[in-house]
Amino acid sequence: MDITFILINALVVACIYGLVAVAVSITWSSLGLINLGYGFVFSFGGYGAYVVSKNLIDHPIAVALAGILFGALGGIIICALVFIPLHDKKNFTTRGMIATLAISLVGSQALLMYFGPRAKSLPELFGFWQVRLGNIVLTSDKIGIVVCSIAMLSVVIFWMQGSRRGLEIRAMMMNPHAASIVGIGIRSTGFYVMALTGAMAGLAAVLLSQTYFISPFSGLTPLIKGVSIALCGGLGSVRGAVIAAIILGITEAATSRLLGGQYVLITQFLVIISILIVRPRGIAGLLDKGREQ
Amino acid sequence: MSDNSTSKDKYFWHNPLAVWDTKGRKGKVESIPVPDPATAWDNHKQYKIKTYKLGRLKHYHIWANHGERTWKRIRWWPTRRNLLNIRGKYNRKTLIAEKKIMDRRPIYWVLCLFILAIAPFLFPESMQNSLLTAGAVFGIFAAINVCWTLVLGTASIFSLASYAIVGVAAFITSWLSIQYGLPWWYLPIVGTAIGFAFGGIIALPAMRLDGFYYALLTLGLNELCRVYFTTSKQFGSASGGLYGASTYINPDWAPYTQSLVSYYGAFALLIASLFLFRFTNGKRLGRILKMAPEKREAFAEACGVDYRQARIRIFLITSAALGFIGGFYAAHYRGVAFSIFSFDTVLLGLAMLAIGGIGKAEGAILGTLVVVFLDKILIEIGPIRHLMIGTIMFGAVLFLNNGFFGIKQQFNAWRDKKRGEWRSARTEKGGEALPEEATEIDDKDRLYMKRFDKVQRDYLKTLITPQIMEEHRAQPLGQHSEALERVLLYFRRAEMDDKYALHRDGPTGHYKLIAFSGNRGVSPRVVDDKEYDDVDEAYHAVFVRRVHDLMES
Amino acid sequence: MSEILRIQGLSAGYGPLRVIHDMDLAINEGERVGLVGLNGHGKTTLFYAIAGLTGWQRGSILLNGHQIGRTRSQGPGRYTHNIVRMGLSVMPQGDEIFNGLSVEDHLDSGAFTKEAWHNRARRKEEILDLFEPLRKLLNTPVGQLSGGERRMVSIGRGLMTKAKLYLADEPSLGLAPKLGITVMEALMKIDLDGCAMFIAEQNVALLEGKCDRVIGMHAGKLKGQASQALSLG
Repeated sequence: MDITFILINALVVACIYGLVAVAVSITWSSLGLINLGYGFVFSFGGYGAYVVSKNLIDHPIAVALAGILFGALGGIIICALVFIPLHDKKNFTTRGMIATLAISLVGSQALLMYFGPRAKSLPELFGFWQVRLGNIVLTSDKIGIVVCSIAMLSVVIFWMQGSRRGLEIRAMMMNPHAASIVGIGIRSTGFYVMALTGAMAGLAAVLLSQTYFISPFSGLTPLIKGVSIALCGGLGSVRGAVIAAIILGITEAATSRLLGGQYVLITQFLVIISILIVRPRGIAGLLDKGREQ
Repeated sequence: MSDNSTSKDKYFWHNPLAVWDTKGRKGKVESIPVPDPATAWDNHKQYKIKTYKLGRLKHYHIWANHGERTWKRIRWWPTRRNLLNIRGKYNRKTLIAEKKIMDRRPIYWVLCLFILAIAPFLFPESMQNSLLTAGAVFGIFAAINVCWTLVLGTASIFSLASYAIVGVAAFITSWLSIQYGLPWWYLPIVGTAIGFAFGGIIALPAMRLDGFYYALLTLGLNELCRVYFTTSKQFGSASGGLYGASTYINPDWAPYTQSLVSYYGAFALLIASLFLFRFTNGKRLGRILKMAPEKREAFAEACGVDYRQARIRIFLITSAALGFIGGFYAAHYRGVAFSIFSFDTVLLGLAMLAIGGIGKAEGAILGTLVVVFLDKILIEIGPIRHLMIGTIMFGAVLFLNNGFFGIKQQFNAWRDKKRGEWRSARTEKGGEALPEEATEIDDKDRLYMKRFDKVQRDYLKTLITPQIMEEHRAQPLGQHSEALERVLLYFRRAEMDDKYALHRDGPTGHYKLIAFSGNRGVSPRVVDDKEYDDVDEAYHAVFVRRVHDLMES
Repeated sequence: MSEILRIQGLSAGYGPLRVIHDMDLAINEGERVGLVGLNGHGKTTLFYAIAGLTGWQRGSILLNGHQIGRTRSQGPGRYTHNIVRMGLSVMPQGDEIFNGLSVEDHLDSGAFTKEAWHNRARRKEEILDLFEPLRKLLNTPVGQLSGGERRMVSIGRGLMTKAKLYLADEPSLGLAPKLGITVMEALMKIDLDGCAMFIAEQNVALLEGKCDRVIGMHAGKLKGQASQALSLG
């Protein structure tokens, strides 16, 4: 019974942070940009959903959509400010990363100044029902989170495999020089990628707000966790990010149950460090197929 | 003369050798009106392209030579090392002997450090205390960043663990001082040992991981330390940090003296870290590391450089230095708070480096100055100062390739690129050299030859008409009219590089068109596959090609 | 008989190196033009200049009447996708493939106009008819194919959209002679109705008899019937 409880919690945590991890992975492999501004996008999405829920509609789907849209908007802002000016300049990788950090700093401060330091809460999205499977009780928010994340991830993966835009993004991952020869505009594709990944971060913010509140700096922990998962799974591999998310979710749930919440970070980083020492490029690191830094 | 053609009437060219000519070629040829060669030169005298004033700015101070006196140089006894890199040279234009300082940076360093040293006496009375404390913070953090630059810039290893090392050393030495009452001068030494051990720990994974993966590892270590120290009772989890270590600032002194001593203590720390930077980065170890940046170690290894050992060494050296700084921190502030492990501190540290320019000690110091100024001195503005720091960081990274001290290099690269493009836009095809190019070419004969050749070609282009083409086709060798003769003489005295010629395989073979390479030992290239049986036809083909090239040039 | 491509006064280069000096060139509709010359004399730079991928360039390039040459010195490839969408198909030297994508994905990626994307199944069939060996390899990642197969994929990708001007840069480079002939024949089979083809090749023998015109390139300058503007024959 304990194990299933741990597993369920692990799955829920893995879903949320896995979304951010997949977003970071996709952004890196298609654009060559490590986007550390997801903390800002996260908070931006959350606050956007909050504004909509307070002033417009209270309905769960509207709130979720608002979170997604504002997340996408945040991603587009970062793309316009960081990727477009810098993508063909010298030292793009380092400069891009530091620029996203700067945007995160500025954006979080701006949100703090505008909304105040008190945390805000979003309305319950999934209601208060429960499902009983034998001895296990699955609350609605856990089911909702898992279902939504998996749905979003499936939509993203399906779109990337099937549509023309998805093909363009995948082609840009491999060879940006050749991509322009087949009519793939690097800058327009960049907007698509950042909007998509921003939407994922926005959804993660809305889902996480079921348990925690929205505050200007609430995006920092998911960002660090998401980046850790993405690096652990291997930058550029969606599969690896999912596997790493599950492993780290299990670690987090097991630690918080057995050792106590304050040791979660320690165990997680110990797991990450051991994985990286065994496989220096992450679990599914693309050494030969994809873009090398 | 202003009219374009000579005012001669039609006349005939006679070949005096026609009497003995066995091939029966024409003995006399009708002349074709030929424009006056002088007009080409008259036209050319007006230079149509916009010219600019010449001459280069003398950037560096150049002063006169010592003349007949012996040149006495100041040296750092007992070495033979000079004070400044001064070279004697001759002015390119006037040929006067001069002296020039090649590298002015030591002068700037001395000036800035001097200003920093006398800064406390320049502070306004009202803000003295806050400025002195901010100055102490600046000194310590600048020292940390200079050591961080050694890892991040020289060794180009993306390590985010610097503040963690300082924090760990500070915590452990404070604890030791509180528990066992160690005097203040023990603390930096113990800190060095702690830093050294820590450096060994983080050096080993660096051999296996690289790039962002290693950054993540160090970030994880940072977080690990933070969580550990925040949750352990011995290290003051209840009070937000440890306090009570022994310090070199005697609390019995007047507050002003205390602040002054703390400022100069931090300043001495900064000078020490600069010495470390100079003697690591500027010497062999730095050179080896700069030779083997990440992803490009293979070349260094092929040259016999053991980059792994070099990287381990730099980790140990920097970590020991950071441990020393940690011990100093504990002795300075009588303890340490948990905030040193937070992600914000690392972020601010990265901001400091990015603003100044990664890889240079002066960049680290400038970045620290800007951020500490904004963070600690403009504290009345409130949280908006973080916004300002973030904006400056963003602007620096957006517009500058390598921070503030990379501006000169960036501007020079841009200016060279633009200059090359403007020049190529202004040069006419195959024309004479531009004035600014002319100053760069030492052999002025070449310039004049280029100019002469251009005028010649412009004139000859006016001479080429279908009549002379026909004339040549009818009779390639022998007496020609004035126009054709002028053109042929020009072709015959062209240089061998890419000059067309005829090749005949065997005494009875076909003729083929070739072009000489102009280099000794390099065989000519075949221009065309067409084969000619008649030598006159072949001559004409050569002529046609040469005319074509002339018209295109 | 309109002009597909007209270049006037084109100069291009990389950094301080100027490769092409004030070049003029014209290609008409329905023409197959060959470009011969040794390595390092500017053939690839000319193709890149048309596509906008050089370090810097200036001069006028008119593709079907639209001006695509611009004075540019920043960001090679910044406007390439716009130029390509106006009807330019580039088959670059050395393939420029996407390592992890399968053959089918490659051919799909070549169909960048809406019309080509909708008809891509049919066009893929046509290209597989041209290059039979690719039929069995549709799902293999292109990074694992041999040189000849990769070349076929690269050229097939360039043929997926109906472009106005096809630029083929050394199609037989590095291929065994038989394969080189196969690739050339495939290129020659394309019906040039309303478009033109420009092939750069070092091996003159492969172009003989198949091209309407052959131009030489030496040290950045064209030699041969480069443009109608010349009054000399």
